[in-house]
Amino acid sequence: MKTTSIQWQAVINGTVREIEIPPSRRLLDILREDLDLTGTKISCEIGRCGACMVLIDGEPMNSCLMMAYQCEGTEITTIEGLHGETEDALHPIQEAFLEEGGFQCGYCTPGMIISTKALLDRLPQPEEQEIKEGLCGNLCRCTGYGGIMRAVESAADKCAQRSSLIPAVDS
Amino acid sequence: MLLNRESSGERWRKRRDGKEKVTGELRYLTDMTAEGMLYGRVLRSSHPHAHILSLDTSAAENYEGVVAVITHRDVPGLNRFGIAVPDQPALCEDTVRYIGDAIAAVAAITPEIAAYALSLIHVEYEVLETITDPLRALEDNAPRLHPQGNILHRTQVKHGDAGHALQNCAYVVKEVYSTPRQMHAYMETEGGLFIPEPDGRLTVYAPTQHGYKDRMQIARILDWEEERIRVISSPIGGSFGGKDELNVQPYGSLLALKSGRPVKMHNSRMESVRAGLKRHPMKIEMETGMDEYGRLQAHRVRIVADTGAYATLGAPVLNFATEHCMGPYRWEHIDIEGVSVYTNNGVSGEFRGFGGNQAIFAMEGQMDRLAEQIGMDPWEFRMLNRRYPDDPGPLQQEIWRTNGLEQVMQALAQSSLWQRREAISVLSVHDSLSDASSSPPWIKRGIGAALAMHGAGLGYGIDDPAGGRLSLNASGQIEAAFSYEEFGQGLITTLEIMLIDLFHCTGEDISIVIGDTDRVPHSGSSTASRSTTMAWMGLQRLKSPFLQAILQKAHDITGIPVDQLTTGEQGIWQITWEDDAEIRQKRVVSYREIAAAAQGNEFVFDTKFSYPTTPDEVVGGHFLYTYAAVAAEVEVNTLSGHVRLLDTYHTVAAGPVINPMGFIGQIEGGSVMALGFTLTEDAVMEEGHYITRNMDTYMIPGIQDMHTSLEVDAIEELPDNDPFGPRGIGEIGSVALAPAITAAIRQATGTWVTHLPVSRDQLIRRAGVWQQEGVSPR
Repeated sequence: MKTTSIQWQAVINGTVREIEIPPSRRLLDILREDLDLTGTKISCEIGRCGACMVLIDGEPMNSCLMMAYQCEGTEITTIEGLHGETEDALHPIQEAFLEEGGFQCGYCTPGMIISTKALLDRLPQPEEQEIKEGLCGNLCRCTGYGGIMRAVESAADKCAQRSSLIPAVDS
Repeated sequence: MLLNRESSGERWRKRRDGKEKVTGELRYLTDMTAEGMLYGRVLRSSHPHAHILSLDTSAAENYEGVVAVITHRDVPGLNRFGIAVPDQPALCEDTVRYIGDAIAAVAAITPEIAAYALSLIHVEYEVLETITDPLRALEDNAPRLHPQGNILHRTQVKHGDAGHALQNCAYVVKEVYSTPRQMHAYMETEGGLFIPEPDGRLTVYAPTQHGYKDRMQIARILDWEEERIRVISSPIGGSFGGKDELNVQPYGSLLALKSGRPVKMHNSRMESVRAGLKRHPMKIEMETGMDEYGRLQAHRVRIVADTGAYATLGAPVLNFATEHCMGPYRWEHIDIEGVSVYTNNGVSGEFRGFGGNQAIFAMEGQMDRLAEQIGMDPWEFRMLNRRYPDDPGPLQQEIWRTNGLEQVMQALAQSSLWQRREAISVLSVHDSLSDASSSPPWIKRGIGAALAMHGAGLGYGIDDPAGGRLSLNASGQIEAAFSYEEFGQGLITTLEIMLIDLFHCTGEDISIVIGDTDRVPHSGSSTASRSTTMAWMGLQRLKSPFLQAILQKAHDITGIPVDQLTTGEQGIWQITWEDDAEIRQKRVVSYREIAAAAQGNEFVFDTKFSYPTTPDEVVGGHFLYTYAAVAAEVEVNTLSGHVRLLDTYHTVAAGPVINPMGFIGQIEGGSVMALGFTLTEDAVMEEGHYITRNMDTYMIPGIQDMHTSLEVDAIEELPDNDPFGPRGIGEIGSVALAPAITAAIRQATGTWVTHLPVSRDQLIRRAGVWQQEGVSPR
C-alpha cells in the first residue's frame, strides 16, 4: 500500500498549488479530496460521463482519467475557477445555464459548463451540430438536453456581446 | 399553451438553488467531509444465489488502518429493510439472493485501505441454482428464495366475461410485450456522511426521497428511538425513484456507531449498478377484442414482473401496472392478472412512472394494432373508445372528474406534428413521389402517438400523509417547511413561486426548509408526482391563519385597520381602494419588526392532512389522474437499424403551471429518459450477473440523440370547483413516448415492435428489397 510520493505542482484556477502525492493519484481525487474542490463531480470514473471535466491548458479533460504525473506543471481550470468580470460575478456561460434552465439536479452541470467553455473558446458561434459534438462527452440524466442546448446557444450570444464591448487593442 | 421562456413571462424564474449549482459551490451530501472521517465500503456477494457457509473477517479487522468491520452479528435491531415489506437483509446471515447483497462492511482511514480490507474478508459459499427467469421461479420445483415462496404479489381485476367475449369479437389482437431492466442512472451515485454526535444522536446525510421513512428504517435496524436520528436528505444529484429505498444508510450508520467516528460512503458507479434498484422488466401478454365498428369489447392481460431478489415497492409497482394496463378506455369485459416474482436478478423497484411505462407501452401498442386492423386512423380509434369524464376509474373506483383526457386528445389532434402524419402516409403509398429534400430510399420516416392517464399519489389503502409548516422566522422571513427533497425537479423554486403568489413578497422575504427531519414536519414522500400538489394544498390551508396572525400584529404595531393591510415586499403594506382596484400605498412595518414582536410560537402554523384518495375500497386505486398525449416523428435507417427521433410533441393536462422552467424540464427530461427506455437502455444480466456495469455499455441518451424539436403544451384549465391545484408532472413525461415511437416505427418501416429497447436487427433491410417486402420507400 506504500507508494513513493512526489512533489506535485500545478496552477489551479490561477493559483500555484504544490502538494506531496503519489504520481499515480487521479487528478479527480487531488481536486476533490486533497484540495476540497468538490465542484468537480465524480460519477462513472471511466471517462464517459464528463461530470469530472476540467480544463487542462485550455483543453477539456476527464479528471478521472488523468494521473498526477500526466498533468504536472499544467494550468488547470475547474468550475470554481470560472467567473465573470469580477470574481463574484457569474461567467456568461453560467448566467446562460441559470436563465435557460440548463440543469436540474445540477450534478452534471460543472462538467457541462466546463465543456461549454472549451467549446466556445474554440468556436465562439457554434452550429447545432458543433454544440452536440462539443458536449457529446457529457451526460445529463435530468434535462433531456433541451435546456442545455438553449443555454449554450444563449451563452454563445452573451460571450459574443461581451467581447464586442471590449475595445480592440493594438498589439 | 406552448410552454417556453417567452410564453412564461415573469413566471420564468431562475432556480433558487441555481447559482450554487452553476458555480459548483453546492455541497451535495456526497461532497461532504468531516474531521476524523473514515471511509466505508461494503463487501457484496460473489454469487447471485448461495448459502454462506462461513464468514471470517479477522484478517480485515487486524489490518492497519481498519477501524471497524461489521457483519450481520453487529445489527442490533431488525436486520432487514424495505419500504413496504422489510425482507432485504442489511447484512446477509446465511443466504445471498443477488450479487448486490451485502455481507460485511468496513470503515478505514483511507478509501484504499477500506477497499483492500474487503479482499481480506473470507466468505465460503455453497452456490445454489440461480433463478434468472420469473417463469422458472414460478415452477413447483424451483428453489424458494423466501420462506413464503417466490411470489411477491398477485393482482387481479375482472368484470364481465372476457374469455367468452373475445371469442365473439369481430377483431382480436394478441401480442406479448416485454420491457427492459432500465436503470435510473442518476449522475450522483448513492452515498452520504454518517456522524455520531456527542449527544448520543446520529446524523445521516444521505439522499432519499422520504427522509422520515429512512429515519424509521434506520431506527428499526439500530433498535433506536427514531428521534435519536436526524436525516438530512437534500440536495440530491438525481434520483428518479432510485434513492427512495435505503441503499448505503444501514452500513454508514452501523459503521459510524461501531467506530465512533464519522463515516463517508460513496458507491462507485459499478457498485451502484450492482446493488441499486432498476425498473421492473415486465412481460405483458394482451388479448384485446373489438366489435365490427371498432368499439373495444374485451381485454385480457397477463403481467409477469421480475421483481428480483427483494420486495421494496415491487407490489405497489405491480398494482400500478395493473391499474394502468386498461388505458383511458371503456371496456365491457376485463380480465387482468398480474404476478410479481422473486428471482436472483438484482432488485427491481420504484422508478419514475412506477409500472405505468410498461403497461402503457403494451396498451397503446394494442390500440395501434387494432386501429390498423379495422382501417381507422389511430387517434380517431382512441377517440371512439375513450372513457367519458364521468366514468369510474380503471378499477371501477370513483375518481376526480376533469376534462383532461378530452383536452389532451384534441390538442394532439390539432398539433402540427400529428397533422403531418397523413402527408407521410401519402408519400409512402406513392413510391415514385419525388420529395425535394429526398433522403436515400433506406431512410424511412414515420409519426406515431400515444395516450396516458396516470395516477398520482400512493393510492387507496396506503398511508399517504401530507402536511407542512408556515411561519415567520426569527430573521423576519416567511418560512415554509416541508419534508420533501430537492433532487433536481425544481421543488424549491416551485415553493418560492407559490409563496410569492400567496404573499406578493420577494424571493428574499422567503425561507424554504426541506429535507431535514429535525427541522421539518412530516409531509410524506417526494414520490408519486405528489409533492407539488401537497405543498400547494398545504399552503392553501396555512395561508389564512398565518395572514390573520401577522396582519393582526401589524395592526397592533401601526394602528392601521387590518382590512387596509396586506403582505408585500419586505413587510406589510397599507392598501387603499379606488374603483375596486387595490392600491399599495406604502410599507408600514417590516417582517423583521413583526418577527421581533412575536410571542412564543405565535407565527408558527402547522397543517396535517392526507393525499386525496378515492372513497371506494380499491387498494392502490387512485383518485387524481393526469393526462398526456405524445406524438413522435422518427427516422429509421433500414441499413443500420438506427432510429432517430426527429420531433416530439407532449401535451399534458395537469392543472396550473406553477414553475414553467421546472415543468418544461420535467417533461423534456422525462421524455428523453423514455427515449432511452425505448431505444438504448437495458441493464443486461446473464446468470444473475450484470454484463452492463457502467455508462460505457449502459447507454443513456446523450446530447447527440436529442430531437431537433420537442414541444411542451400545457393544458392548465381545471373544473371550477377543483380544490387540488397543480398536479405533479414528474412522471407523466416519461410514460407515453415509447408507444408513440414504436407506432412511428411501424409507419416508417411496417415493423411492429413488441420488445424494448427496440432491436436494430429487427429494422435492418437488405438494400433493394424493400419493395418486395411491401414496405414502401418514401
